Amino acid sequence: MDQHKTVLHAQNIRKSYGTRGNVQEVLKGIDLRVMEGEFVGIMGASGAGKTTLLNVLATIDRTTEGSILIGDSDISKMKDRELSAFRRDKLGFIFQDYNLLDTLTVKENILLPVSLGKMKKRVAEDQFKSIADILGIKELADKYPHEISGGQKQRTSAARALINKPSMVFADEPTGALDSKSASSLLGTLEDVNKQRGVTIMMVTHDPVASSYCSRVVFLKDGNIYSELYRGDKTRQAFFQEILKVQGVLGGDSVDAL
Amino acid sequence: MFSGVTALTLFDLVIRSMRKNIKHYYLYFFALIFSVVLYFVFATLQHDPSVIARSGGSMGSAFKAAGILLLFIAGIFVVYANAIFLKRRSREIGLYQLIGLTKGAVARLLIIENTLLSAGALAIGIGVGILVSRLFLLLLMKLVGFDGFIEMTFSTEAVVQTVFVFLAIIVLTSIQMVVAVYRNTLLGLFNADKTGEHPKKPKAFMSGILAIIGMALIAFGYWLSGRMLNELLFVNMLVVLASTILGTYLLFRVTISWLFYQIRKRKQGHLGLYNSLSLAPIMHRMKGNANSLTIITVLSAMTLAMLAGAYSLYYSTEKETRLIYPVDFLFIPTGGSTGEAEAKQFTDELQRQDIAYQYSPIETLQLDGEFEENSVNKLLNSRFWVSVVNEKQLQEAGVDIEIPDAQSAYYYGASTYWLMKSTEVPVNFKLYAPHDGLDISIVKIGEGNVLNPPSGGSQLVVKEELYEEIKEFSSDETIDSQIMMAYGVNLKDKKDLVKASDIFMEMTDNNRARFDYYSNYLASMQSNGLLIFISGFLGLVFLVSTGSILYFKQMTEAEQERSSYATLRQLGFTVQDIMGGIVRKQMFVFGVPLLIGLLHSIFAMKAASFIFMSDITLPASIAMGIYALIYLVFAFLTVGYYRKTVKAAL
Repeated sequence: MDQHKTVLHAQNIRKSYGTRGNVQEVLKGIDLRVMEGEFVGIMGASGAGKTTLLNVLATIDRTTEGSILIGDSDISKMKDRELSAFRRDKLGFIFQDYNLLDTLTVKENILLPVSLGKMKKRVAEDQFKSIADILGIKELADKYPHEISGGQKQRTSAARALINKPSMVFADEPTGALDSKSASSLLGTLEDVNKQRGVTIMMVTHDPVASSYCSRVVFLKDGNIYSELYRGDKTRQAFFQEILKVQGVLGGDSVDAL
Repeated sequence: MFSGVTALTLFDLVIRSMRKNIKHYYLYFFALIFSVVLYFVFATLQHDPSVIARSGGSMGSAFKAAGILLLFIAGIFVVYANAIFLKRRSREIGLYQLIGLTKGAVARLLIIENTLLSAGALAIGIGVGILVSRLFLLLLMKLVGFDGFIEMTFSTEAVVQTVFVFLAIIVLTSIQMVVAVYRNTLLGLFNADKTGEHPKKPKAFMSGILAIIGMALIAFGYWLSGRMLNELLFVNMLVVLASTILGTYLLFRVTISWLFYQIRKRKQGHLGLYNSLSLAPIMHRMKGNANSLTIITVLSAMTLAMLAGAYSLYYSTEKETRLIYPVDFLFIPTGGSTGEAEAKQFTDELQRQDIAYQYSPIETLQLDGEFEENSVNKLLNSRFWVSVVNEKQLQEAGVDIEIPDAQSAYYYGASTYWLMKSTEVPVNFKLYAPHDGLDISIVKIGEGNVLNPPSGGSQLVVKEELYEEIKEFSSDETIDSQIMMAYGVNLKDKKDLVKASDIFMEMTDNNRARFDYYSNYLASMQSNGLLIFISGFLGLVFLVSTGSILYFKQMTEAEQERSSYATLRQLGFTVQDIMGGIVRKQMFVFGVPLLIGLLHSIFAMKAASFIFMSDITLPASIAMGIYALIYLVFAFLTVGYYRKTVKAAL
């Protein structure tokens, strides 16, 4: 796979919260480059800044300092309206608690990102069919979220993230609310999507099993990048062991487990 | 740890929770204040000495009846607002129990809160009421046509009555709160804001049938409302009411869901953002909202019809009175006098005061007659008494009527006009003399009377030749009473009416019925002014209640859907995109009850238009337009609330 093209390039990202006198810096100057077709996992203890980093990169939140390029666009300079349009056209999102709309069926939920009618109905229909096929939720098209299982909801959410052929998909603890079987099945599917369709994915997780599906794992500690691991040709099992080691040094999991 | 809660700590808790929850409270608080103000104003007017003095009792009873209605509306409104308020706070109520407060303690806490809140609302409401009641009194007096100085007195009775009524309402809402605490499980309380049904696939066949029945019932109600004027008038009215209300319910409960389901099915998942934010959530909540939408629609229809009717009456008072009393002053034989002497006395006085007038004696023939069978409304199918009037004499009296030929007649009669309105002319009429009959062709049905009551009744205006013929034909009998004289006095300048009326009132006996235009106009003005005031007042209450209930409900829905808006904004939809869908939803939520209510009331007004001789399209449209405008204010407020929610969602 061609890994020379940069999809995301973040430079010196800083983010602080709070008012004058009581400022808390959550991200303390992060540099990160993501290549096309990568499946990047972000790990770290609670409070390390994982979700903040994801939100900032995903244009949901703004940085205090630093620049972020996605494709050719500098999103740190965009206005709110432009950011919205950018998110809608270029990015996909998977959330821990699915964030499906209760009042819409599975298919309607999946088609939401293209619901402003910029994509032709026939194209959207084809796109829906192929994605629903990959994610194995074709039969659920007319069901409402309350009628399906958590794993199926997350697949729906994943399908929604993929429908507009995004440059990049952001996933925030996608397996956090799933049982281990549904979780591994979903991760396997994400891995397939990543490998076969070349979709770039960035996933925040605190679960070493989940991150063992990634091609690269970035460890955060106190708002800085602590280390990175590449899977390379290693088996998932071996990669998992390596992740565990780093996590042991970080000592984060014990905090998370509480 | 809370087992030893004392009244003081509970009270502290109350104060703390009230301070923290101010945004939940203000809605309920305003509903309470609003109800108190309106009730107090009404009570004040009911006990106001100048109102009582002006009306001599007639206004009092009207106010009393309206007061009871107002009480009902205010009660229902407050209870409803309280129910919404409680539902919004159910998580908080659950939390109190979770930390160990007993149900009894939570109930006590809520009751203390409720009492404090209601007492505050009562005090503020009465204060505001005292300020605005003078305004309302002035309005009322202006409407009934009283220009004098009005003194406003502070009414202790009104305060006592208001306090008493709202104490009862506090008891009622407290019971409601206790029930809410005791009957709900903890889990239920925590999930209360998540409840919403899930749309099921309607059973295609049954829903289809019911959907069509709903529309058919409304259509039938409309159809029948135009054909009610027969022996079964009362039954017809009930059938129209029942079929329209049931039809409206089915419309909301089945027809709309069914239609939406069909639309949605056709979209095959490609719903689009706007439909996702309007059609889908509406379908989602249709079952729960059907009742309130039906009630709001029916209430709106009734209010609209009431307002349009009352305003039309008020608006057409002058015209209608003129149609009944075409002659300014009419003297007829009474008791000992022939009327001629009185007329002379009156005109002498007019002359003395330099008031220009026209005096015209009019002779009428009193006869029995009958319409040709089945040519007019069934209710007129019997022998009745008519006055035959000479066209020439009317022309001399200033009534501009010209009969085309000597064989035909014009029919007038204010009391029967509503039945005759739709009669197709020419229609044959048979006049009876004791021995013989004479056929006359009626070629036109005129509006109102040509002579004031009681000479009126039904009047046939004929050419002089025919008049003489009828006179001869009926006069072989020696009964004089068949010929009656009336003496009309018309003022040349209608501006003199007030002055002339004073003269007339002074010389005529107070115990006698008066058949002049002006005093009857004043009397109608007074009763119609009172009617428009009371219905306007009640209408405003209805309107604000229905509008607020919709607003409250939508507020709750907005909060329930907040997470959806957050998701949509994360997915990259702008506030404007989302608002586009929400505005559509509000157009439905507010627009459909308004439109159906308007349609209902238009048909109701059409059915009721027989009361009027003049055209009421204009006044009815004005009343409906004003109603719709005020109602739409609530829609704008709601959209504003949604905008705030969507903006804050991310």
